[in-house]
Amino acid sequence: MFKRIRQLDRASQWAAFELEALPHLSGLFRLAMWLVRERAEAEDLVQDTFTQALQSFHRYEKGTDCRAWLIRVMFHINSNRRRANARIHLISQTDERIAETVAFDPPTPQGLTEEEVLRALRSLPPHFEEVVLLSDVEDMTYKEIAKTLGVPIGTVMSRLHRGRKLMRAELASYANSRGIGEQHAEKEASASSRGN
Amino acid sequence: MQCRDFREVADSYLSDELLVETNHDMIAHLEACAECRRELAARRELRTTLHASFAHSEELQIQDQFADRLRSKLRDTATTEATSLILRRRVGMTIAACLLVAGALELIAWQRQRAQAPTQIAGGERHEPNVAQVKPADDQPHPAATAMDAEMVLAKMSELAAGDHRDCAIGHRLPDMPIDLAEAGRKYDRAFLNLTQAVMSHRDQFAGAIELVMAHACVFKGHWFAHIVVRHRGRLVSLLVTRLENPDQIAATKEKLPKNPEPQVIACSTAGGYQISCFRTAHHAVFVVSDLEEGENLALARELSAPVYEHITRAEVLAEFRG
Repeated sequence: MFKRIRQLDRASQWAAFELEALPHLSGLFRLAMWLVRERAEAEDLVQDTFTQALQSFHRYEKGTDCRAWLIRVMFHINSNRRRANARIHLISQTDERIAETVAFDPPTPQGLTEEEVLRALRSLPPHFEEVVLLSDVEDMTYKEIAKTLGVPIGTVMSRLHRGRKLMRAELASYANSRGIGEQHAEKEASASSRGN
Repeated sequence: MQCRDFREVADSYLSDELLVETNHDMIAHLEACAECRRELAARRELRTTLHASFAHSEELQIQDQFADRLRSKLRDTATTEATSLILRRRVGMTIAACLLVAGALELIAWQRQRAQAPTQIAGGERHEPNVAQVKPADDQPHPAATAMDAEMVLAKMSELAAGDHRDCAIGHRLPDMPIDLAEAGRKYDRAFLNLTQAVMSHRDQFAGAIELVMAHACVFKGHWFAHIVVRHRGRLVSLLVTRLENPDQIAATKEKLPKNPEPQVIACSTAGGYQISCFRTAHHAVFVVSDLEEGENLALARELSAPVYEHITRAEVLAEFRG
């Protein structure tokens, strides 16, 4: 009888996992690919994420955002992998200092291509890039991002603010090089200097 | 609010991470500043492009072979003994829980037996418990049960109403563009036709002044709402009307149409920091959502209810008449 119960339990758990978690496979892969850049490594990360998620599926609270839960699992696995690499940490500290030196916040240009937007996101320092990604692409709340990255919510907000500002500056330079929004930027700069 | 302040928090506004009060300040500033309206539109466009670029980028797409391989591997893992350790534990815990419950029931039965024993001795005859006190009759539903179901359904729907108020009236960020009420009235629900006039023609009779901000039909999470936004005591208030999916199932009594011609307006819930008052007609639910005090919101809902109820009920009767 217990064998039958186990089979039924396994079948229902798999059915729930298939229904709740597997539809997010493509989205999670895109995120993994963006984070690690190499296809083979992204496949490893996604496989580990879903295997871990399946084993821990009894911890997932039904009715909550399964995608956010899977992203949390993925970031946890990925950060464990990166932890040994001290070089990334040093770079990010330098980048945070650079981000603070961007004084002028240009107006957001319009009419940008998808390629330019992705390039600008990629140009951000890793700590800024990941919060902008989680907020503006994955639509996670600040609270969810803080939980995923294991940092205070204030840190999330500060990184988002600086990250978006850097991204706007990068995009403005692309737009200017194509002749979009130069006049606007000049007008904005003069308004900014007047202190509005 | 200055332009500089606006731009500092514009992204948080788009992410719906601001306090209600700050949202109001943002809207007030937007109404007056064309430059900030352009900036907000540009930031919204940037997010849309970012979303699209992720979805379209070929280099980020998963390969079908890998996806199939992983699915099959996960299915094998799920159906083999690898996960049965957890399941075995779960079965063990279930047995333990059953034993505990059985023990507890045994204990309760023993205690009852002990409590009844002195009565038998003192009275000289066995005390029969009054069945009516212990358990209500099963053959008839409890009169409050269906009414409670109806309230629960309205309370659940009120969360949708609060979400629409937040994303449409306050945030202006519904994914689908709202459409004209008259058009929605012709296409989807005749109760939407002339609803604005029905509300605004009675405004002189209301205790507090209301000013029309906008009126349209919009979709929130798959539900069509007639959405009238008014300003009352300086706050934005949404009047939302939507069709009930299963009106017969959630009728508070056996009658489908309320006997009482007066709408029963209640303060049904709070969600996302908003007060929600509601009432229903035979086929529609009506919500009044705002960040006013509970009493103020309820009072306004009661004032609005008379013309709205009359208008919708008339439309429903006409619809039934036309078949």
